[in-house]
Amino acid sequence: MIHFDNVSKVYANQNRPALDHVSVDVDKGEFVFLVGPSGSGKSTFLRLVLKEERPNSGAIHVAGKDLAKLSNFKVPHLRRRIGCVFQDFRLLPKKNVYENVAFALEVIGKPRRFIRKVVPEVIELVGLEGKAHRMPEELSGGEQQRVAMARAFVNRPMILLADEPTGNIDPATSIGIMKVLDRINRTGTTVLMATHDAAIVDSMRKRVVELEDGKIVRDQSRGVYGQAY
Amino acid sequence: MRANFIFSEVWIGLRRNLTMTIAVVVTVAVGMGLLGIGLMINSQVSSLTNYWMDRVELSVFLCGKNDAFPACKNKGAITQDQKTNLKKAIEGLPDVQKVDYEDQNQAYQNFKENGGNNILLSVIKPEDLPESFRVKLKDPDKASAVEESLKGQVGVSNIVNQRQILDSVFGFMGKLRNMALAIAILMVLAATLLIGNTVRLSAYNRRRETGIMRLVGASNVYIQLPFVMEGVIAGLIGGVLAAVLLIVTKILIFDQIQMYMTAPLSWNTLAGVITLTMVVGVVICLLASFVTLRRYLKV
Repeated sequence: MIHFDNVSKVYANQNRPALDHVSVDVDKGEFVFLVGPSGSGKSTFLRLVLKEERPNSGAIHVAGKDLAKLSNFKVPHLRRRIGCVFQDFRLLPKKNVYENVAFALEVIGKPRRFIRKVVPEVIELVGLEGKAHRMPEELSGGEQQRVAMARAFVNRPMILLADEPTGNIDPATSIGIMKVLDRINRTGTTVLMATHDAAIVDSMRKRVVELEDGKIVRDQSRGVYGQAY
Repeated sequence: MRANFIFSEVWIGLRRNLTMTIAVVVTVAVGMGLLGIGLMINSQVSSLTNYWMDRVELSVFLCGKNDAFPACKNKGAITQDQKTNLKKAIEGLPDVQKVDYEDQNQAYQNFKENGGNNILLSVIKPEDLPESFRVKLKDPDKASAVEESLKGQVGVSNIVNQRQILDSVFGFMGKLRNMALAIAILMVLAATLLIGNTVRLSAYNRRRETGIMRLVGASNVYIQLPFVMEGVIAGLIGGVLAAVLLIVTKILIFDQIQMYMTAPLSWNTLAGVITLTMVVGVVICLLASFVTLRRYLKV
């Protein structure tokens, strides 16, 4: 599903590479934690999957497509198959829960009838039934992240990227967030989650890829966060 | 659905940037209005020029009884012999096509018809007006040369070269036109920059929305169209105001001076001018929006 072959990325004006000859394979339906300290290249990895950045060398395949050969105007179609969740939720403050989720479908031109059908379903999936007409500011951090997850998943992507989704949320609420991610993963969606949260990684017992200074230092199935942290 | 979404986005954008939108509308209106006025003056000048250049005459005025012109002083009125000789001399010049004699009564008639004002008319009698030869030229550009060779001939009091009068009138209209066009160009430049700025502000105001749109895979057209439409709609409103301005100008100015014009400014010409200014306005808005978006809304 995601295939990195010897990928290196150096940002302009920096001598140290953000990613240094990274090779990873993530299969369909896998749940992978991407761990490592700040600046280890986790976010760069996710940005490369989205083709927000281009690698300096190496090949990236996502959902069967060679990103180097993907023309710019086809990038939106790639992104429709990838859902994204961030630490800061990125909700639209002037839209309610339903509208925030529906926005993702409206802007890719889905018919209104389809939107009316699937948005309530996905709101229920993330556990926000009955809160469709709340505004983001009326929700707790955990609930806002659930809205963001609903928005990321509403188009049934093949891949869900989560960049520190529990970074702004207390540990008790984080468990609920992880349950939703797990539920999404069980529908067959590949989940790739960058995180600092050792407790979560340890409790989930999923595959762990550890990055340090842009290099992969560990790739364990059913791993834990690691001794050093 | 799509159209709905885009138009609501456009409306939101225009309302949020109301002051900038007004600035764009006014600048486009004034710029396009001046461009149109310049084009209107131009069409009038060229039709007038064509008409008058074919009819340019030299008026050779003849000495009267007590003429004060230095050429006639103390010599008395021109005699019949002198008149005949002068006419022959003029006809003999290579560039002259035709010579007509205008006596005092005719001069008085012409003076009355050409709208001499009433006070003057009540004072002036036919005897006060000079006789003249009206000289028609083969080539209007040779007027000055002919004038030179007739100056100082016996019995000639004064020569009026219509070409010079026309040149000064056309020169003045030409300057007006150039000024209108120069200001129009400046305004178009200002409009371009203003539109660029408006679109940039708009893009900044909605960076959250556009960021999410990018993430969920909205196509570029979908992301950019609302911004481009904003520029184009502001430009269109400006264009409509400019059209109103041009119609008012036609009615209040061009139609008022119609009696001096050979071919009054027609509604057809005006329609052409308005279409052209509208197209220029919208194209400028489109280009300005696109160029700005390429810089501020990367994929």
